[in-house]
Amino acid sequence: MSQQTVVTDSAGAPPEPPPSRSRPRGDGISHARNYGRGFWVKVILVALIDAGAVYGILSAVAVSQWGIVAFLVVVLLVVNWVYFSKRALPGKYLFPGLVFLFVYVIFTACYTGYIAFTNYGDGHNSTQADAIAAIQIQNEQRVEGSAAYPITIVSQDGELGFAVVQDGQVEVGTAEQPLEAVDGATASDDKATEVPGWDVLNFAAIAQQQEAIVSLRVPVSDDPADGSLRTQDGSTGYIYQSTMSYDPAAGTMTDSATGTVYTPDDRGSFRAPDGTALTPGWKVNVGFENFTRAFTDSRISGPFISILIWTFVFAILSVLTTFALGLFLAVVFNDPRIRGRKIYRSLLILPYAFPGFLAALVWKGMLNPDFGFINETLLGGANIPWLTDPTLAKVSVLLVNLWLGFPYMFLVCTGALQSIPGDVLESARMDGASAARVQRSIVFPLLMVSVAPLLVSSFAFNFNNFSLIYMLTGGGPNFEGTPIIVGHTDILISMVYSVAFESGVKQYGFASALSILIFIIVGVISWWGFRRTRRLEEL
Amino acid sequence: MVTTASEVRPPKSANSNANHTAVTGMRWWREVGWRHIVGIVMIIVCVLPLLYVLSASLNPGGTLTGSNQLFREISFDNYSNLAERGFWTWARNSLIVCTVTAVGTVLMGAAAAYAFSRFRFKGRRGSLTGLLLAQMFPQTLAFVAIFLLLLSLGEVFPSLGLNSLLGLICVYLGGALGVNTFLMYGFFNTVPRELDEAAKIDGATHAQIFWTIILRLVTPILAVVGLLSFVSAFGDFLVAKVVLQRPEQYTVAVGLYSWASDERTAPWGLFAAGAVVAAIPVILLFMFLQRYIVGGLTSGSVKG
Amino acid sequence: MRRSIPVVAAALGLALTMSACSSGGSNEGDATPKPTTAETTSAPALSGTLTMWVDETRIDVMKPIVQEFQDETGIKVDLVQKVSGDIRTDFVSQVPTGQGPDVVIGAHDWTGEFVNNGVVAPIELGDKASGFASSAIQAFTYDGKLYGSPYAIENIALVRNNKLLPETKANTFDDLITEGKSADKKYSVVIQQGDAGDAYHLYPLQTSFDAPIFKQAADGSYTNELGLGGENGENFAKYLAKLGKEKVLIATIDGEKAKQAFLDGETPYIVTGPWNTTAFTEAGMDISVLPVPSAGGSEAKPFVGVQGAFISAKSKNPLLANEFVTNFLTTEKVQTELYKAGGRLPALTASADKVDDAVLKGFNEAGATGAPMPSIPEMGAMWAFWGTTEVQIISGQAKDPVKAWDKMVTNMQDAVDGTK
Repeated sequence: MSQQTVVTDSAGAPPEPPPSRSRPRGDGISHARNYGRGFWVKVILVALIDAGAVYGILSAVAVSQWGIVAFLVVVLLVVNWVYFSKRALPGKYLFPGLVFLFVYVIFTACYTGYIAFTNYGDGHNSTQADAIAAIQIQNEQRVEGSAAYPITIVSQDGELGFAVVQDGQVEVGTAEQPLEAVDGATASDDKATEVPGWDVLNFAAIAQQQEAIVSLRVPVSDDPADGSLRTQDGSTGYIYQSTMSYDPAAGTMTDSATGTVYTPDDRGSFRAPDGTALTPGWKVNVGFENFTRAFTDSRISGPFISILIWTFVFAILSVLTTFALGLFLAVVFNDPRIRGRKIYRSLLILPYAFPGFLAALVWKGMLNPDFGFINETLLGGANIPWLTDPTLAKVSVLLVNLWLGFPYMFLVCTGALQSIPGDVLESARMDGASAARVQRSIVFPLLMVSVAPLLVSSFAFNFNNFSLIYMLTGGGPNFEGTPIIVGHTDILISMVYSVAFESGVKQYGFASALSILIFIIVGVISWWGFRRTRRLEEL
Repeated sequence: MVTTASEVRPPKSANSNANHTAVTGMRWWREVGWRHIVGIVMIIVCVLPLLYVLSASLNPGGTLTGSNQLFREISFDNYSNLAERGFWTWARNSLIVCTVTAVGTVLMGAAAAYAFSRFRFKGRRGSLTGLLLAQMFPQTLAFVAIFLLLLSLGEVFPSLGLNSLLGLICVYLGGALGVNTFLMYGFFNTVPRELDEAAKIDGATHAQIFWTIILRLVTPILAVVGLLSFVSAFGDFLVAKVVLQRPEQYTVAVGLYSWASDERTAPWGLFAAGAVVAAIPVILLFMFLQRYIVGGLTSGSVKG
Repeated sequence: MRRSIPVVAAALGLALTMSACSSGGSNEGDATPKPTTAETTSAPALSGTLTMWVDETRIDVMKPIVQEFQDETGIKVDLVQKVSGDIRTDFVSQVPTGQGPDVVIGAHDWTGEFVNNGVVAPIELGDKASGFASSAIQAFTYDGKLYGSPYAIENIALVRNNKLLPETKANTFDDLITEGKSADKKYSVVIQQGDAGDAYHLYPLQTSFDAPIFKQAADGSYTNELGLGGENGENFAKYLAKLGKEKVLIATIDGEKAKQAFLDGETPYIVTGPWNTTAFTEAGMDISVLPVPSAGGSEAKPFVGVQGAFISAKSKNPLLANEFVTNFLTTEKVQTELYKAGGRLPALTASADKVDDAVLKGFNEAGATGAPMPSIPEMGAMWAFWGTTEVQIISGQAKDPVKAWDKMVTNMQDAVDGTK
């Protein structure tokens, strides 16, 4: 809840009636110090946030989330300084949004940056401890031909043990003590029911100690080669032999069958001297390797240039076409003499109201060269290869993106046109300017002031418009015989996806590094774009 | 040119002709009629693909695009079956998430835009650009980070963790400062500073200026931003499916995605019916907001 | 979620108090029959909560089974529905964080990826293993260990519309095409393809050329050596090109179009799986299921897919999980119920023998000799190369089918080698 309070607090105070006349007027006294209703609301809200933050700090300490503790301490200090200091005026308005930005955007970006320096991915997706446990458990082999034992779980002074019946004799053993006959025990149906000196655990007790029971290994005899008894379901036991043993002191894994010693390498795997590695490995830091690989991997560098060019063409044309159509329609329907404007406008945003992935699926079906609605019905049985010809596929992608994207531009432009002051236009008209001229030299430049940055953003969005490409063409038509599956309509981000995920072996580290490189490309271009739009603003 | 709050002009459309006298004949075609043709053509283009969806939603079996023979069967079974698949819960979740997100985005974005527009502080330009750049980071991999972030947050504030609508709203609000801020910033700049100055002389605090003067003058853009953030939250399933792991917490987009996920067995009819229903709130919201977006109060004066 | 925890706790507390009361009460006499008696006499033997993930394609089948398990054992099961497109990825990424489920229901071809990431625990079926179809056990075996408990088997076969063609005499695929043409419909045989191709649906034809994806070891398990290269594979490629030229195979017919074409009676034959036949019979069609005839001289063997349950390597309830996976799911009663709900052939032979559904029997016969889909993690790349090349050959985009095929084999080999 505390975060939500921040939202309400975003403007410093709730709406208030217009200032009453009795207030001191412009006498230099800071308005932050008139203890009106707004001030007290502010105090209460900040107090609530403080309480929430203190609570958060305490519970974060309890679960050892030190990152959150540090962040909350900073928030606590900043929020009190910002809202009670006279000097942090812009901060009062920026703070709430910035908190969310830092937590949910900057953090995730930084985390991606961190992953880019690791080998995180399939085969290396957890810690070394997890890998050791997994290797050991995957290399336990049931002793061939050994029997299945109905097993009874017993305990003595908190130590767990298994009781089994062998040749009519009840035997008990623990992790330390191999199976040993116990006298005076009773059994029925090959299952021990009572063992003197031991408590037979009931189901409830078993359920409570599941993990301990499952990890319990009771040696069959003094000779470890005979294997050990273990159970997976608490009622049946089998004899297993472990072929991999971990030596915590040396940090190595030894194959008891062959004697091969596997030592941990700096790539996050146990590796034998002959180079074979055990799976799974674990996550380690690999430095800049993922980045250098982006430039040295021949699978990427091959189609890279043509895909890069298409990415730019796609992003730029997408922005231009959607903007042109959106603006045109906004202007067309900005005329109050049109009857039913409301209906027109509402229907025009339909493509925006439907889920995008659904639209892509429908378009894919409609553009099917042999059976699609466009060829079959609209064009009377034509056979235009909309999605299978390299050039036409690109055109199709752009057209579908135009269909999907123009309502956004239409909305933005409609809103923007509304805010252009009427009197500017009137005075222009009075000066005798034609309608077209008014549009070109007054409306358009004013519009660009607020819309131009959006065009830059839209460029960045389309540069990474993965879902459209993925849903509509899947990048196809594919290049022939390339060592990675990429196609004529693939853009950079979908190529990253092909390389890092589609191979079936996910490589998050590599994909993160490529994302960062793409971000740098987009960021630099956009930054340059914003600098240009600033000039518009200073018109 | 000094204007004060009391002098805000009545609503006026930007490039309207001053005279509203009826035009007829050739002149009507030249000035108005062709706009209807453009409108009708565009509406056909917009609606055509969606007829497929509508047709599929009325066909109890069958496929989404397997046939070009539309409306071969009319049955409302799919619509009545939505309830038993939990669709209305998803719709409720979506409405909650998107409404709160839209309101939060408008408030926080407007506050930030106000700060950028009205205060001069160090690093203003830089942080404005920074906001935009920050939102450009490719989100394809964000799910790993978002999952871990919410996992940790959930240990401290359970209501902000995984499987929580509030948690999802907060993730969406992370995008509140960005393009939308820039959009509003542009508009705030068109509101003359003289209005603030005058109000300040009258003893208004900066908060009062923001709430009572500025926000009222920029209603159109608030409505646009509200709609945009509502729609983007409404259509998102990539982030939502990471946060919401249980069907009873799904939003409509995640729910529909889950139906379409396995193409082999996808219940396309149900899926299409859900999509048709899902489009309604967006259209209604737009129709409701239209009167603010279009013909709302305009600033009535030139910038600066 | 948040709110439900105290509710559950309260309910548990209440249940405990009530059982205490009723047992105490029974000593005092039978004068006051308590409503809780019925519940407490069949008192749950085990307690605890098991979290289970299942995707939307399997949830309706699993729900009643899970309910039965809860009633029988008293183990509470939290059945979580996941999206089929994400369940695998989510399992791999969430198990290490401790967030994953205890049990996940899925397909056998996930095994390689799960084992490679160390997120599943091996399963010991003991003597029960011999009661299962050997291909089902083999499917869930990876590097010699069993990782899943199978419950259903599925594969594709040739489905015939009896109204259009009452019987099939053809022994070869070419004859089948001729026969199909005699029905005088739009298509003779439909095999779905699509933009990215569909190697799965073409696999019976490919195996009839003796060009399996990987060579198989004596025990039927796959080796790492590709089997689709060489002359056999090239012959298959040429055959594909021929079928493409004759417009028997059409690259633009995807799954949706294929299904619709068969529903609309536009083709007498379709190669498809049990997931579509339900829709066909529901639409009132009279169908027969047959093995796909050979195209290259050898037997046409489809891939076999097996469904089953995995146990998380980091499960906090390993005993409960095993109780469900190895002891409950493997019983004949449950396997039969799963078949009735899901319409797939049971993996347990005793249950499979009782199946009397003609359609399922047909699928069973068609898949009798089929080998399980390989489950190595690199299959993702394999499918992509494979389908893309096949569709390029069919559509004629690849001018020289043999060259395209050989290039594909090289790429596939690189993909297998590259990640080792």
